[in-house]
Amino acid sequence: MRRKSGFATCRAGVCTLLAILASGCATNENIRAAILEVNQEFKTQYEEILAERGTRGFNVVPGEAFVGVRKSLMGLGMRLEAQDADLGYLNFAAAAPTPLNDAEWKAVAQADLGVMQRIAARHIGLPAYFIGFEPEGLEIVINATVLPLLGRTEVSLTMRMRQVKPPPSGLPRREYAPPTGVRMGLDKIWRQIASELGVRARRP
Amino acid sequence: MADPSFPDALPGQHRLHWYVLERVLGQGGFGITYLARDTNLDQAVAIKEYLPVDVATRRADATVRSRTEDQNERYRWGLDRFIREARTLARFDHPNIVRVLSVFEYNNTAYMVMRFEEGENLAALLERRRTLPEEELLRVVLPILDGLELVHNAGFIHRDIKPDNIHIRADGSPVLLDFGSARHALGHARTVTILVAPGYAPFEQYYSSGENQGPWTDLYSLGATCYHAIAGIAPMDAISRSKGILGSTREILVPAATLGSGRYTQGLLKAVDHALQFAEKDRPQSIAEWRKELAAGAKAVARAAPAPVAGAPAAASPASLRGPIIWATLGALIAAAAVVLWLVPGDQSGKLAAALERSETERRKLQAEREREAGEKQRAAAEDKRLREEQKSKQLEAEQQRLAALENQRTEERLRRAAEVRQKEDNARREAADRARREEEARKQEAARKLAEAERLQQDKARPAEPVAPPPPRKPAEAAPAPDPFALAEDARARGNEAEALVLYRKAADQGHANAQFALGEIFAAGRGVPQNNFQAYIWFSLASLSGHAAAGPRRDQAAATLQPAEVQQADAVVRQRRQASTQRKG
Repeated sequence: MRRKSGFATCRAGVCTLLAILASGCATNENIRAAILEVNQEFKTQYEEILAERGTRGFNVVPGEAFVGVRKSLMGLGMRLEAQDADLGYLNFAAAAPTPLNDAEWKAVAQADLGVMQRIAARHIGLPAYFIGFEPEGLEIVINATVLPLLGRTEVSLTMRMRQVKPPPSGLPRREYAPPTGVRMGLDKIWRQIASELGVRARRP
Repeated sequence: MADPSFPDALPGQHRLHWYVLERVLGQGGFGITYLARDTNLDQAVAIKEYLPVDVATRRADATVRSRTEDQNERYRWGLDRFIREARTLARFDHPNIVRVLSVFEYNNTAYMVMRFEEGENLAALLERRRTLPEEELLRVVLPILDGLELVHNAGFIHRDIKPDNIHIRADGSPVLLDFGSARHALGHARTVTILVAPGYAPFEQYYSSGENQGPWTDLYSLGATCYHAIAGIAPMDAISRSKGILGSTREILVPAATLGSGRYTQGLLKAVDHALQFAEKDRPQSIAEWRKELAAGAKAVARAAPAPVAGAPAAASPASLRGPIIWATLGALIAAAAVVLWLVPGDQSGKLAAALERSETERRKLQAEREREAGEKQRAAAEDKRLREEQKSKQLEAEQQRLAALENQRTEERLRRAAEVRQKEDNARREAADRARREEEARKQEAARKLAEAERLQQDKARPAEPVAPPPPRKPAEAAPAPDPFALAEDARARGNEAEALVLYRKAADQGHANAQFALGEIFAAGRGVPQNNFQAYIWFSLASLSGHAAAGPRRDQAAATLQPAEVQQADAVVRQRRQASTQRKG
């Protein structure tokens, strides 16, 4: 996977605080307010997306679904961090933008960067338009639960960003992935799981 | 099947009235363009769907909706503009402007049907050939100017002119595509989505207001397209230029006049540099004005007969013919002088000397001309070399990035394998601990059984002999109660054996032991012997709380504070399932 070159060309991911700081035009307070509003906007959209695409039902037994989910996520480049087959719980992580590839991440940047810049511009003005999407230093963390429900198995996914290094003092963490990234990531994972299990996913 | 690179796109074979979609041609900020088949006329068409991704999204039923109620007004406004623009563009019937055939509303959005143009776009052509000679460049630009003038006169600006949006048909004629971002140049003060092509978009396009945009905006983009065809690379983007200009009042874009010197006429290069002026007021203000500048510089080629741009090799330029002409002229002059010298009698020697003198002067003049020509060629070659080196250095940089990515991949693979090995070792350790525990339990049970047997025998011996009924056979399970796994877990933990403690706590927790569930919550919250995981900690604290552990509630709330609301809901579903399964087992 050409992940590193994708970073260089695509520049997708998260608000580069350094770019804003380098501009020297915004105070820490403004930057903090900008990040909080971006977080809030992305959170709202994230929850709407999860309500629509976060859970799918499969006509297989839970054990089979559990193995299928693990194989699918690992097949998409995620590494398994924790699993508990009795609870039906799996936890994966990988350097952003995995599970998306370069081209998909480029589409994410194209779709969401403008939204982020407009929000940031309300707090920091023109330098907001110099902000880029930067995935370096970020990991995508995915929680999956596999639970029996009415004779079939319900799989549920959540997705968050994790900063490898803590943010500069006084600034909040970026936690919610760009909405288009969440949407594309979930769709890609559902396709992979359905293909792995050889059945069609059904919405709850 | 939908194209995974375009997640919002409609899938192939999707039907819109009598149009059947085949594949996605491209996606921009305002919508998606598809290649489709008009099943009535049995011909290919391009269909643009209005889908402004920043305010709208595709639903499962293929309809497009605004992302939030608040954005609905903005979405409807844009949709209305899209339809009106399509209707206006449909009025333009020009060979160098993409032909709009129809527009219709469907799926709560609108679709613009356009003629599908076969051929190659200018970006691909430049990628392949790097630069275009002046004559070919003008054969692309001048017809586009004609078409664009029509559009400007109707009050529109294109706002996204770049090599990708100029298509070269098989017969070499150009056509300007993608009016998706075209916006009425006059009469609206609404903010529109910023959509810029770096390098081709002037500075004013980086702001959302359309007030200071006009024909000069498109002329900048056309100038940048010409610059690319001359220099082999797109000009520096306007934001970077602004840093130079606004920061130090120094222009940092190398002018086309420098890069193209010797290869293109000065008139053309000056016109390109004029169009690329940073401030909009310093650029030509209309197509007519810029066309005059181009024509002044390159009258000889401005209206040359059409010839294939992409396929045929470029015609020799006047500069390249000049060398042979000079040499032929020089040879003819020397030959004429020699003939005259041989034929004319002696009294004419003065005139002959004068003729030879003139011939020599002419020769020197031609020689100087040839040297100047050679100098220009040398400069052009040096410039070519510099550009090639620049290209090579970029390739080298890309290769280094690729190698770095490969190295990262290998590192990740090594880490993954190491994690797998660790996991296997952990499993083996757990199994060994489990086995040892089972053996220890079996030993304890055996010892207890023997002890009970010995006690019974001793009691039998001490008791006076009297007839008694034989004792009922004793079940081995009654000999010694099974040891409490929670106590064993506490014991293992006290001995510092975290792995064994975890297995035993888990066993006790599965039996509904509140203290064991609480202990598991603490283990996951602290990452003691396991990767730290607040999601699992939350689950175990919740179960402990439901089992009646008094301290578990506050600890559960602490774990919940580190989770997203969606993760809490997800973990709650696991807890519910766990409780349900436990109740069913008990029942």
